[in-house]
Amino acid sequence: MKTIVIGSGLAGLMAAYISKKRGDDVTLLASGAGTLAQNSGCIDILAYTKDKTPVTSPREAIESLPETHPYKKIGIKNIEAATKEFLSLVSSYGLPYCGDLDGVIKVSTPIGTLKSTSYVPYSMNGAALFDAKKIVIVDVERLKDFYGDILRDNLTKHLPQGIELENITIDLSINGARDVSTIDAAKRVDLKEGFDKLVEELRPHAKEGVVFLLPQILGLRGDKAYKALIEVLKTPVVETTCLPSSVNGMRLVRIFCRAFSDIGINYVENTRVIRGVIDKSRVEAVVAKAMARNVKYEGDKFILATGGFLGGGITLESFNNARESIFRLPVWMPEGEKNWSNEKLFGSCPQGFATAGIMTDNALRPVDRHKSVIYENLFVIGRNLGGYDLFFEHSGNGVALASAYHAAVQSVK
Amino acid sequence: MDNQHERSTSEDFGKREYSASYAFSQMADACIACAGCTASCPVTNADGEYVGPKLIGPAQHRFAFAEEDLEKTLKYCTNCKTCDRTCSAGVKVSTINMLTRGKYYDSHPHKVRDMMLSNHSLASHVFRSIPFGSKIANFTLKIARYCGILNMLGVTRNRKLPSYSADSFVDMLLDLDQTPKNKKVVLFQGCFIEHNAPKVGMAFVKVMEANGYEVLRDEKFVCCGSPLVSAGYIEKAWENSVINAKRILYWQRKKIPVVACCTSCSLMLKEEAGELFDDELLFQAGTNVYDAFEFLKKLKQNGELVSPSKKSEETLLYHVPCHLLSQGIGTPAKEILENEGGSKVKVLNTGCCGMAGSYGFQSETAKISLKIGEDLFNRINEEPEASVISDCATCRMQIEYGAKRKTLHPIEILADLYEKKEENPST
Ligand SMILES: Cc1cc2nc3c(=O)[nH]c(=O)nc-3n(C[C@H](O)[C@H](O)[C@H](O)COP(=O)(O)OP(=O)(O)OC[C@H]3O[C@@H](n4cnc5c(N)ncnc54)[C@H](O)[C@@H]3O)c2cc1C
Ligand code: SF4
Ligand code: SF4
Repeated sequence: MKTIVIGSGLAGLMAAYISKKRGDDVTLLASGAGTLAQNSGCIDILAYTKDKTPVTSPREAIESLPETHPYKKIGIKNIEAATKEFLSLVSSYGLPYCGDLDGVIKVSTPIGTLKSTSYVPYSMNGAALFDAKKIVIVDVERLKDFYGDILRDNLTKHLPQGIELENITIDLSINGARDVSTIDAAKRVDLKEGFDKLVEELRPHAKEGVVFLLPQILGLRGDKAYKALIEVLKTPVVETTCLPSSVNGMRLVRIFCRAFSDIGINYVENTRVIRGVIDKSRVEAVVAKAMARNVKYEGDKFILATGGFLGGGITLESFNNARESIFRLPVWMPEGEKNWSNEKLFGSCPQGFATAGIMTDNALRPVDRHKSVIYENLFVIGRNLGGYDLFFEHSGNGVALASAYHAAVQSVK
Repeated sequence: MDNQHERSTSEDFGKREYSASYAFSQMADACIACAGCTASCPVTNADGEYVGPKLIGPAQHRFAFAEEDLEKTLKYCTNCKTCDRTCSAGVKVSTINMLTRGKYYDSHPHKVRDMMLSNHSLASHVFRSIPFGSKIANFTLKIARYCGILNMLGVTRNRKLPSYSADSFVDMLLDLDQTPKNKKVVLFQGCFIEHNAPKVGMAFVKVMEANGYEVLRDEKFVCCGSPLVSAGYIEKAWENSVINAKRILYWQRKKIPVVACCTSCSLMLKEEAGELFDDELLFQAGTNVYDAFEFLKKLKQNGELVSPSKKSEETLLYHVPCHLLSQGIGTPAKEILENEGGSKVKVLNTGCCGMAGSYGFQSETAKISLKIGEDLFNRINEEPEASVISDCATCRMQIEYGAKRKTLHPIEILADLYEKKEENPST
């Protein structure tokens, strides 16, 4: 079966990977790099319910979501299967993740707020912070986007009382004149000299009961640097999340690049799909813009992972009138202007606007207003989907993975 | 008649006004400052001095920092275009960079070295016009390297410059007796095939012959301009673009496509020139240009491709040049070599090789160049048995130096799978 995936965010990458593993001949078409290097690479499944109650068990919370939510269409069994595929992919490429659907994991942001998520690399799991006698917050000289003092103040508010906090600043001898980004520091740690320097700076502070809290600098090569560091220091080490562009996002990008090379996905970069070629209720091909000419890609199955409003997959033609950009699929909008946005952007109920998206049947095929399927071999995934507010409920990468898996395993006639 | 048309075409090419170009300033304004380009820039990742595409391109364009400071960091940009491919807002950061660099050199002198490394065809014409010229050239380069002359000029001592081939491609093509055919393509040979690696051009001719095509040459073609742009000779690059575009439009009127085996040439002719100089006619000329394997894929899709008689079971590690990735056509060489040639092709996805034309030869950047290529070299050396291929001549040079592995153009692999052409009984 020839499968064409459009878009290279986490949703598109995962859909391409699973489709190929199941034996399809896969072509991935993408313009731009997607949000993977931007996002933390933490897999948020569901952190808040509709009334902003923190979720303690995503598995249970998913049960009580409305029928229009993508998770309800996909079903808990498939969500679990999707996370398993992801876990096995990342661990086979050297970046094992921890987590499950029955609890949440706390991670620390670079400003010391604690965020709930579901799956993270072991290095980011914040559990050790709660058991520490003393937390040593490690700043790196010239590093931007990490705020040791603010981090310490915030962390004091969120952690149990009685944990001692200390700030230190280390020097990794990073060359160059410009400010150091977390990516620069991570690259430095990947080198032997950089790693040795890190150990040398941390070792004097490594005492019984100490936990190190570091910016996301432990290398771009999976968990190699993390494992080596806890081995020599013999104390727990925790990485914070990272402002964009994120080191962990780049670790994932590298994993996908390598996996695609190994399994042979036909990846066409720098091409924008502009329209579909339709025969009645089937998509026959898509036409994409390449340099100097357009190229037609025929396929049996098409997966649309173009990122919704933010990714350019959906465009607003006029107020209250949005369209999907390639196939001109209808976009479901919450009724009435008052739902469009809440007065407070980060208020206590979901943004009307943010739940707008493409509505689908349970197999994720787009439907019209009467709920009939528009194209039987087209599947919609990731942020294109309507009916959920990823920023409010914290479910972005979760929906991306689950929908990618669900679409990839559907067969077409 | 042709002449007449040519004249009117040349008049249609507008005068270059890049700094005031509307498209140029629009482009910078589209930037949403996400820094995605900087995170993916191979040079930023390899070197602490370079401030990266976001700051040097769109941001600098808006705020116009002091010129002197600018070139200090801008010189590190390789024009690999990874930034452009990353950007979802469609900002052509590399084009902004190259135009800014060109503007800087409008009022600043070039180094002798820049002239030498970027005016490849000029140097080789001189050498080849004298008897044993290529031998003398190669010998002179060797001596110059040992004596440190090249070093003084700003060319790294550690690396060997590409050697000149004894016969140019044009000479070889003339020697080869092609039977005239109805189906024709023009090969844009580019400087490297012309002077250093004519065998790549000859491999292309063999493949096209087997497919019933006659390969024409056009002696009016000049360097595509890619090395000139990288070295800041933007005016000269524009002149070359116009000369080439006129010829390409001439062939377009005759319904004969122009094909290039070098991916930086095809990129320049297809779109980069139009982007840089903001000229519709350059874009129009681009529509008659194909990358070699893109053209073969088109033949295949039309059911016209003749399958080679031999099959290869070889595993090929394929480093896809940045300038091919930018063309948005994926990896047609992989498709043809796998489906027609029987090879197993692994696309490496390890990013830019770091060579970037003359970048790897310049003393200031040679070290960065090799550092950029590290991931690629390591990946290749994970599989010592496999053969290595890449469409770009400078990528091949970089791999041969950095990974110590022989590297071929994919067309050479394909050409080997076709039987030798039958001898013409009348000769
Ligand atoms: C700054 C930021 C931080 C985030 N952090 C987290 C987090 O910590 N945890 C979490 O769970 N979620 C997070 N998210 C949400 C998460 O990134 C996304 O919801 C999720 O990855 C799904 O993305 P996607 O693949 O659907 O779309 P995108 O990542 O937007 O990808 C869409 C892709 O499609 C391409 N495209 C669009 N149109 C076309 C076309 N016509 N032709 C070809 N290609 C096209 C785009 O160029 C892009 O590559 C974050 C999001 C942002 C913006
Ligand atoms: S040029 Fe593009 S990728 Fe770079 S910062 Fe601006 S919007 Fe982001
Ligand atoms: S062209 Fe390449 S080197 Fe230059 S800024 Fe862009 S990504 Fe960096």
